Amino acid sequence: MKPFEVKLVLPVVVPLLEVVKELSEGLRHTHAATPELPATDVIFRDLWKSELLVAQNEDLGALLALFNEEFLSEGVVAFDQNNAELIVRACSAVRLRLRERYLQALADEALEAGEVELAKLDEATRKAFMCYLFLATLQELIIQRMDESIIGS
Amino acid sequence: MAETKTHITPGQRTAPKLQLEGVWRVVVLNDPVNLMSYVVHVFKRVFGFDESTARKHMLEVHEQGRSVVWSGLREKAEAYTFTLQQWHLTAVLEPDEAV
Repeated sequence: MKPFEVKLVLPVVVPLLEVVKELSEGLRHTHAATPELPATDVIFRDLWKSELLVAQNEDLGALLALFNEEFLSEGVVAFDQNNAELIVRACSAVRLRLRERYLQALADEALEAGEVELAKLDEATRKAFMCYLFLATLQELIIQRMDESIIGS
Repeated sequence: MAETKTHITPGQRTAPKLQLEGVWRVVVLNDPVNLMSYVVHVFKRVFGFDESTARKHMLEVHEQGRSVVWSGLREKAEAYTFTLQQWHLTAVLEPDEAV
């Protein structure tokens, strides 16, 4: 995948980063989705869970690293072959946690279609939903670029 | 495209002999959060599916709630299940009772 940059609108995105950081902190010690473990010995199950958590933390580190000093001054985030997939996965982890923590009241169908009446949401839920959409947009952008690189190769 | 970081997956360990016997299925269950394009990407990335095969499985998950994405020996099925969970898909391991 060729490296690419995206310029984000700082006044829109910066408030959402508070949510991303808060949830990422919580995800350091818990899985975004409770993994269904195979029936086997306890040691293996513990290894399975801990390895998932290590990978999740690495992904979240890549996502948080996007929003560095340069981003805060220029609004630009940069993607390349070293961080793209980690960030796509981290976005999924945070979206799952957003759903669980803030968006339980919204129907699955409404969330999938993005058909949510923002005006009817309280402030915290509205911010969480905006964050949910923002992370989905990041995922779409990255996946599109990765798919293009496969077609072009 | 970036290579997925390789961890020592639990699926690579030596399991008791009994657990490795028979055919096992890797099943992906529907969830309301992950994007369709994301699920297609994961299937292509993890299994090497082409676009149409990946989309077929994604639509099965979306419309029927589940899709069997791989079947074979237990050890490899565990490794695939682990990798799909690393991508935050709801993946489970089932014995293939038809075999």
